Amino acid sequence: MASDEMMRNHRQLCALTLAEAARLVKTREVSPVELVDACLARIEAVNGRLSAFISVFEREARQVAEAAEIMTRAGHDLGPLHGIPVALKDNVAVRGMLTTAGSKVLADWVPDRDATVAARLRQAGAILIGKTNMHEFAWGGTSDNPHYGTVRNPWNTDRFPAGSSGGSGAAVAARACYGAIGTDTGGSVRLPSAINGIVGIRPTYGRVSNHGIIPLAWSMDTAGPMTRTVEDCALMFGVIAGHDPKDPTTARHSTADYAAGLGEEIRGLRIGIVPGYFFHHLQPAVHEAVQRALDTLVSLGAHLVEVDIANIHGNISAQLTIEAAEPSAYHQRWLRERPEDYGDDVRSLLEIGELLFATHYIQAQRYRSLLRNEFIEAFRRVDIFVCPTLPFTATRVGEMKVVIENGVEEDMLSAIMQFTGVPSLTGLPSLNVPCGFDSDGLPIGMQLIGRPFDEATLFRAGAAYQGATDFHLQEPDL
Amino acid sequence: MNRRTRIGPAEVRALANCAELPLAPGREQLIAETLDAWVAEANALSRKMSAAEHLELVPATVFTHPEALDGE
Repeated sequence: MASDEMMRNHRQLCALTLAEAARLVKTREVSPVELVDACLARIEAVNGRLSAFISVFEREARQVAEAAEIMTRAGHDLGPLHGIPVALKDNVAVRGMLTTAGSKVLADWVPDRDATVAARLRQAGAILIGKTNMHEFAWGGTSDNPHYGTVRNPWNTDRFPAGSSGGSGAAVAARACYGAIGTDTGGSVRLPSAINGIVGIRPTYGRVSNHGIIPLAWSMDTAGPMTRTVEDCALMFGVIAGHDPKDPTTARHSTADYAAGLGEEIRGLRIGIVPGYFFHHLQPAVHEAVQRALDTLVSLGAHLVEVDIANIHGNISAQLTIEAAEPSAYHQRWLRERPEDYGDDVRSLLEIGELLFATHYIQAQRYRSLLRNEFIEAFRRVDIFVCPTLPFTATRVGEMKVVIENGVEEDMLSAIMQFTGVPSLTGLPSLNVPCGFDSDGLPIGMQLIGRPFDEATLFRAGAAYQGATDFHLQEPDL
Repeated sequence: MNRRTRIGPAEVRALANCAELPLAPGREQLIAETLDAWVAEANALSRKMSAAEHLELVPATVFTHPEALDGE
């Protein structure tokens, strides 16, 4: 086949959504080998510019794809992700493959078993195509990694992809895989999802196993899929959700068929907004995009309910205290034995986390109970909350300050978790859905926050929104 | 209210010594400003959570007896 024709075919295959590709594999119109070849070609074409991948499993993925094709021809179907290439953030253990957590400390670590998330993806037929780049040890929001390269935003490679799951976000947005797993402590799935114009979910705390994932903050860590559409996200989520005996923080609460309600309307859906917080202190483009998104949801039959969350202010301090103290405990030995092996920003945060007071940490954990109680009470009146995922669009790579309003520079770390910290502290599920672009063509995302274990309603609302809009269909010009 | 001692390099060095955290020379300057800002905000949150109206709130990280079956 001529090279140009092959490239066109590869691009067409990469343009498929995960759901479309899965259907075509089942009907044998597309082969898993073709999908893997297309993804590998795309990775080769873009990774030099994006640094989205740390490891690419070229040989292994082709072997599994060939086996998957044989099974398909034999009439065998491994599951909803049969033959679909997906990527994993590099803090998720994969048996026999390097798992670095974006660090020099773990540069040579080869786990002897899969993380539960990886194992469940394999069991559903997915083909693991590689490990994505990330902010070192997930402790940061830029994915500017001193050991494996700075991840760049496919929409504009001078801009950052956010983090810490920046590699997963960039890889999915660049059509280098059909979905990816990220991890989210303070926003690390949702932020890169918003900044890269894709869908990503932070599940209810305890809905998805963290077994085999390098921790950041135990009391807030989650793992979730990052995909181009809500349908794709629901499909991947259904595979990984559920109790895991190896992770005692996982809940026995039953899972749902998350894709079942995707075509249902949202007439009567009650959407809570917190006007004094969720629509305060935003870049104008973000405010306009999320306001238009709310108008779209209302046009689909939802209605808005203003809610006062009396103690929502103060969440950033609680977030920073917990997210600093817990990683510092995990890293205590390495920080003393080999501090020079950390990037300077992560090293500083780990040192700071060692020097906060115990009462600060306990009071932050008590604040979480207060905030969660207020949201649970509010869910008597609303079904979901909607707000921006973050107050700004992608900044230039390397910048640690951001201007949101009135030309005032602010610290990036505090500003970036203005809205994502709320679900992180309360344990509630939250879904990023692309809802627009700024005047520079940079993506904007909105965050849907749901009741505990009610990811299905988030998916239903997100799918209804995507049925009426086309932001998720736009593709970066790479 | 007591006036808070600002956290500068000397305070960082002292705290790090108490925690047996060896800091390379110059690192206390790097982290002092951020730590000082975070402690100020954390103190404010601590004052808030110490209010009488919140005395019955337990931390989110207590045992919830997962070995018991749901509904029992």
